Amino acid sequence: MKGRRRPRLSFVWLQACSGCEISLLNSGERLPDLLNKVEIVYFPLLMDRKCGGEGEFDLPEADVGFVSGSVSSDEHLTLLYALRRRCRTLVSFGTCATHGGIPALRNRWSAEATLETVFPGTPGQPTLPAEVPALLDRVYSVDEKVRVDFCLPGCPPHPETIAAVIETLVTGEQPRLPGKSVCETCPTIRTGEMHRTVRRFLNNAEYNSEEPVERMRCLLEQGLLCMGPVTVGGCGGPATPLCVQARVPCRGCYGPVRSEGNQLLDMLNVLASHGVDHRSIVDRQSLLRFSGAHGLLRSVRKTEGVVLMSEKGNKKSS
Amino acid sequence: MKKDPLIIAFCCNWCSYAAADLAGVSRLQYPGSIRIIRVMCSGMVHPDMVLHALQKGADGVIIAGCHLGECHYIRGNEIALARAEILVETLEDLGWESDRLQIVHVSSSESERLVQAFCDMHKRLEALDQTDFAAVEADE
Ligand code: SF4
Ligand code: SF4
Ligand code: SF4
Repeated sequence: MKGRRRPRLSFVWLQACSGCEISLLNSGERLPDLLNKVEIVYFPLLMDRKCGGEGEFDLPEADVGFVSGSVSSDEHLTLLYALRRRCRTLVSFGTCATHGGIPALRNRWSAEATLETVFPGTPGQPTLPAEVPALLDRVYSVDEKVRVDFCLPGCPPHPETIAAVIETLVTGEQPRLPGKSVCETCPTIRTGEMHRTVRRFLNNAEYNSEEPVERMRCLLEQGLLCMGPVTVGGCGGPATPLCVQARVPCRGCYGPVRSEGNQLLDMLNVLASHGVDHRSIVDRQSLLRFSGAHGLLRSVRKTEGVVLMSEKGNKKSS
Repeated sequence: MKKDPLIIAFCCNWCSYAAADLAGVSRLQYPGSIRIIRVMCSGMVHPDMVLHALQKGADGVIIAGCHLGECHYIRGNEIALARAEILVETLEDLGWESDRLQIVHVSSSESERLVQAFCDMHKRLEALDQTDFAAVEADE
């Protein structure tokens, strides 16, 4: 970076829960160090700085812009365009931004159906309060709308990883993230023997709490739906994946291993190739709970029930 | 009017692609909007490939492999069948009509059977897309 000027960072959130930002604040002793190296010019969670609204945003110029959350409304889109114009490097920050995250679950319904559910009025005419910006037809990830220079997945990303990514980016280099699955860093015991069905997680996994996680049998092999094979690793840093550390199966919060992968299809594919009965999964759609953007989760067509039911009896109302 | 339904057909090298070849030299007629992609085995067609085809604008996908028990790779077409079962259900979860996918088993000499499958699917997709169209119009 040139001169004495410290690299300027800007943080913008769209449809987000602020978890990603809180995660950065959680990076412990690394944080004060980091704050000495950079200048934060915009960060709604930390500082009060108004940048307009009402269709225009006047964001300060920045070297690196972080955007968390998914793109769900007109206002998000305007804000995102403004950020893209005002920063040199744009990072999509967290799984909502990289893959749609939890907000993209609404892609299973049309925007009209969503509004009717949330703001019920007379049927077919939701009463939308004036201050609510118009919804987009579906929820988009950031890279579907603007050019993104770096994707940092995680719900939220690990604090250490965020700090490391910022440190690398401000030197003008491209950080590297793990490209392998969660299973890659999972130390559980795998025997290759699978349960024939997937069981619900109503009882705990089998393990001895006296023993380290290394002595626990792989959760997927125990018949629990662990999304480790189809989820990109990195949540535990070099250590055990976070959920497995807590002896619960991975839910897939870091998004697919290949960024264009489909966690639902890939997971069912894993099960099918191991002869596991995929029909024993209770709520299949939820396997895409973190990555429904990129057109992967689509609203069920209007014609549903007309075209298909006649020929196939397997239609479910979803 | 909606365009001719575009169908991507994944044909396995050993049986169904040979059948398609035979259909060609026998001058059997089938809709021109079918695009054949030769794969070594129907078992190598990952579900992602089917979804990818639909997302990129295909109206339907056919997976064609050898008859069960006659796979060149012994169990490839059984795997393809297991995957197709998953797909048929999952496509609907994902907002696609399951009719957009079909799996057929043909031997290398059964070119009529393959052509029949092509024509059937083409007709089905035409009907499907027309319904879509009508529903959208009625909506507006
Ligand atoms: S990725 Fe997770 S933590 Fe970050 S904004 Fe989305 S829901 Fe919140
Ligand atoms: S499936 Fe889950 S428990 Fe098993 S190795 Fe992978 S991450 Fe670990
Ligand atoms: S184990 Fe899976 S769900 Fe849990 S934090 Fe890691 S990636 Fe997310």
